[in-house]
Amino acid sequence: MTAARLAIGITALVALGWIFAAPAHAQTPSAEDLRAIDFGKEIYKVKANCQFCHKWDASGDTGYGGIALSLRNSALTREQFIEVVKCGRPFTGMPYHDRFSYTDKRCYGMTLDELGKDAPPMGEFLSAREIDAVVKYLFAKVVGHGPATYEDCVEFWGQNTRQCEPMKK
Amino acid sequence: MKTLAFAGALMGSLLAATALTPVQAADMTHERALAAGKEPNNWLLHHGNYEGWRFSQLKQINTDTVKNLKVAFTVALGGFESGGRYKFGNLEGTPIVEDGVIYVTDGWGSVYAIDASTGKKGVIKWKFDPGTDRAWAGDVACCGVNNRGVALWKDKVISIALDGRLFSLNKATGEMVWELKVADPTIAETITLAPLVIRDLAIVGSAGGEFGIRGWIDATDLNTGKQVWRTYTIPGAGEPGNETWKDGKERWKHGGASVWETATYDPESDTFYQGIGNAGPDWDPEYRPGDNKWAASVLALSPNDGKIKWGYQYTPNDPYDFDEISEHPLINAKVNGEDRKLVVHAARNGFFYALDRTNGSFILGKQYVDELNWTPGLDPKTGRPLNYNPNADVQEYAPGSHSSRANPKGERLCPSHFGGKNWQPSAYNPELKLLYIPSVEGCNSVETVEQKDFVDQGGPINPRERFAGGAQKTTQRLYGSLKAVDPTTGEIKARLKLDYPNYSGALATAGNLVFLGHADGSLTAHDANTLQEVWSFNAGTGINAPPISFAVDGKQYIAVLVGSRQSPFVTGLAPELKNTSTASMLYVFGL
Repeated sequence: MTAARLAIGITALVALGWIFAAPAHAQTPSAEDLRAIDFGKEIYKVKANCQFCHKWDASGDTGYGGIALSLRNSALTREQFIEVVKCGRPFTGMPYHDRFSYTDKRCYGMTLDELGKDAPPMGEFLSAREIDAVVKYLFAKVVGHGPATYEDCVEFWGQNTRQCEPMKK
Repeated sequence: MKTLAFAGALMGSLLAATALTPVQAADMTHERALAAGKEPNNWLLHHGNYEGWRFSQLKQINTDTVKNLKVAFTVALGGFESGGRYKFGNLEGTPIVEDGVIYVTDGWGSVYAIDASTGKKGVIKWKFDPGTDRAWAGDVACCGVNNRGVALWKDKVISIALDGRLFSLNKATGEMVWELKVADPTIAETITLAPLVIRDLAIVGSAGGEFGIRGWIDATDLNTGKQVWRTYTIPGAGEPGNETWKDGKERWKHGGASVWETATYDPESDTFYQGIGNAGPDWDPEYRPGDNKWAASVLALSPNDGKIKWGYQYTPNDPYDFDEISEHPLINAKVNGEDRKLVVHAARNGFFYALDRTNGSFILGKQYVDELNWTPGLDPKTGRPLNYNPNADVQEYAPGSHSSRANPKGERLCPSHFGGKNWQPSAYNPELKLLYIPSVEGCNSVETVEQKDFVDQGGPINPRERFAGGAQKTTQRLYGSLKAVDPTTGEIKARLKLDYPNYSGALATAGNLVFLGHADGSLTAHDANTLQEVWSFNAGTGINAPPISFAVDGKQYIAVLVGSRQSPFVTGLAPELKNTSTASMLYVFGL
């Protein structure tokens, strides 16, 4: 892939990210899916620390973590989410999480040397199973779900904290 | 004579008692604090002395003997649990040592009293866990789960927790005597600094400059556990300085100017010198036209009533996040042949400043970082940036060095918004008359996102939400440096390039050494004249905390907290550190 094609691809991704997505149609998750969603939440919250930049409710943020987009109204598909988590987003602060990204041409056909200072930062390295779980979590709880509620907050943080009090109606 | 005989008998019985019972530490008094230098075996105050020197008079470990320095013992601590936005708690604390007992804290505010009197091992005598609400406090901590240490007062240990509480603990047992809620995380206030104790007052301040707080400094009477005074770092309506917030919408009420590192204190004039943080929102200066006093400043205050004696602002209408919370050492020296009482500061904005501490007037300023592009220099009379425009409400400074609403992507800022010297303390050797500045070197860029108003001012931003007006972007690897600066001229007498930006801070010793921790786990010792490395040990996980020195039974030790958060701002651009794990340890070294 040439740099020009990469730029077009990234532009499309950025554009997609800004379009409000229709709420995902809920299906009854299997026990295995529930385990994966919970596993994915821990990766979002702690291991990959996605919340540092995107906030706990994935509504996006500014500050030291960079300008992080809201994932709640993202129109990306699951496959596109997986690609962004694996490869990060060149030209932005969104880190890559596949250890081998940019060591070969698996991400946008580019290597780290070719991207130079436009390469995304290096995030916590995640396995394919972990990336799948974090995307499952995002689609189950975040993407297309509208603004977070008090109940969402308690589900994320638990009962043993004052963190959700300001959201209590 | 009778009296003498009685005194002799009393001494004899005391000596006998001493031989049979464990030595009890004396009460920590104001007199002992003033004369901390007379107890080189102890490290009684956060910065070593009230003047902020971080200098140990011990010299058993010196340029000749340091080659034999080795680990005496280590102690595993806790506090690296995740919480709020953070994957790990952090260790940035300065140990306090009194009569062989080391008092350290972890990022979540647990205090450990460690008996090091044998010199062979550290035994945790007691641990006090304040039970910090980690999610609540950690979600509004801008920069990590931090606690920079305790203070001693009478027979108590005075500590803080990130969730805004101040504690008085029984020094012998760790039992809590009282706690006081000082800062309120409901409005994103947190506390990370070690309390400054002056007489019977504990002085602390609030962090939260990225979350729309209005900063303050606060004093508690340690006898009663009650507040004595609170001084806001941003003057209120009608107070001098409030006119430097020209928006007309009372944005000073959320203007930042936080406080998160311990002040220095001059007993002669009974004045303490507090570094003040950045204005908020950090990167949308058009939101807050005017100079924004007293953000990015130093304030001289009276400890008894919190009255501001004078202020000096380093970066007016700061568009960079040049937070100036770090220490302001006090030095008496001849400048141009004249005796001066200085307060000095290695600023995050890349300049070293010396001010007259009696009145806040500017004496000299000089660039100490390798690269600085936001201003061509300082006005030699006022110390104002040369491109400061007194007729402008929003400062331009150098084009491209910051962002704006019209040009939301800044091009290149040097030093990066991290500094210069961030919070990590400098050290001063009064024998060599050199200030050792550990810093971050390199450049990055900042971006502007137009800041929306708080709910109490008609906007959508709720308390505890981010209030930064943009973001930072670091794509080039930063590095670090250690520089020896003559504080009377600002001249760099020796310099050393470091592989990593420094977030540990320095210790200077009479053994003509400077100790420094590093992100790759190294603790290094440097010749105090040349800065050449003369010793190093690698602990295998990053060091983010300042080393100190103490002695027990005539033997000198170096102690430092090791581990915890591996900052993504460092490791994200240093692939060789990528797989380092975290830890939470006290390391103690001896000959």
